[in-house]
Amino acid sequence: MLEGIESVFPRLQGADWQVSSTPDDQYNCIAWAVGVTTDWWWPIGLERTYWPEGMRREVTLQAFCEAFATLGFVVCAGEELEAGFEKIAVFANDQGVPKHAARQRPSGRWTSKLGKMEDIDHALHDLEGTVYGSVTLLMKRPVAI
Amino acid sequence: MASVPKSQPRAPGPPDTVEERFRQLEMTWTAETGYLSSYQDIVEHPAFREIIRLGTAVVPLMLRDLQERPRLWVWALPEITGADPVPPGESGNIAKMSEAWLRWGRAHGFQC
Repeated sequence: MLEGIESVFPRLQGADWQVSSTPDDQYNCIAWAVGVTTDWWWPIGLERTYWPEGMRREVTLQAFCEAFATLGFVVCAGEELEAGFEKIAVFANDQGVPKHAARQRPSGRWTSKLGKMEDIDHALHDLEGTVYGSVTLLMKRPVAI
Repeated sequence: MASVPKSQPRAPGPPDTVEERFRQLEMTWTAETGYLSSYQDIVEHPAFREIIRLGTAVVPLMLRDLQERPRLWVWALPEITGADPVPPGESGNIAKMSEAWLRWGRAHGFQC
């Protein structure tokens, strides 16, 4: 299992990362980034996927940014841990098409749901590569301390 | 499009049962899209399209899988059957969509 994940995401090889769940078809990375485990979030797939009501259904960074903004997230510059804030990161390919999202844990580590497969804890940039592209958008929202 | 290596689904051969072919395609599809979140990358994958082309013969197999746990077969079943039993407001909730398809299956004589 671990070798399979590392073959898809080569930067994990030799890195500090852990599996934190079993595979689950019920939610994907976008849902997990905002703390949801009951829905598959994606803008395309009307009547098949969940997307916040009234938000544009297109696979663009702007559409993702607007969807996350409905939950209180605002664009931010840095990926460092900030007391009182929860951060998410959107990965996009070279064309700027969103492919993945991750959420920062209170420890400063990041957590990702890998499609319908497992959740993992990892360093933010260790999932960058040909599958998810690179971190392109960072957002944050206030949380109770 | 993400770049998990893709292979063209092998053409179905006479020795295979529909279920064997279905499971081969499922394995390919999961190996090559299991780490993706993009709806279109998942349903446009060649193995998924070939599963759709297997037609109504795979409906009981998908319903049997849904009995075990919620699955993304809820995205294939509407294309195969032409039905859409998921109530408005439950789109994207894979568990509730799976339950709706199981109700549909029982109403249409499937053992599920």
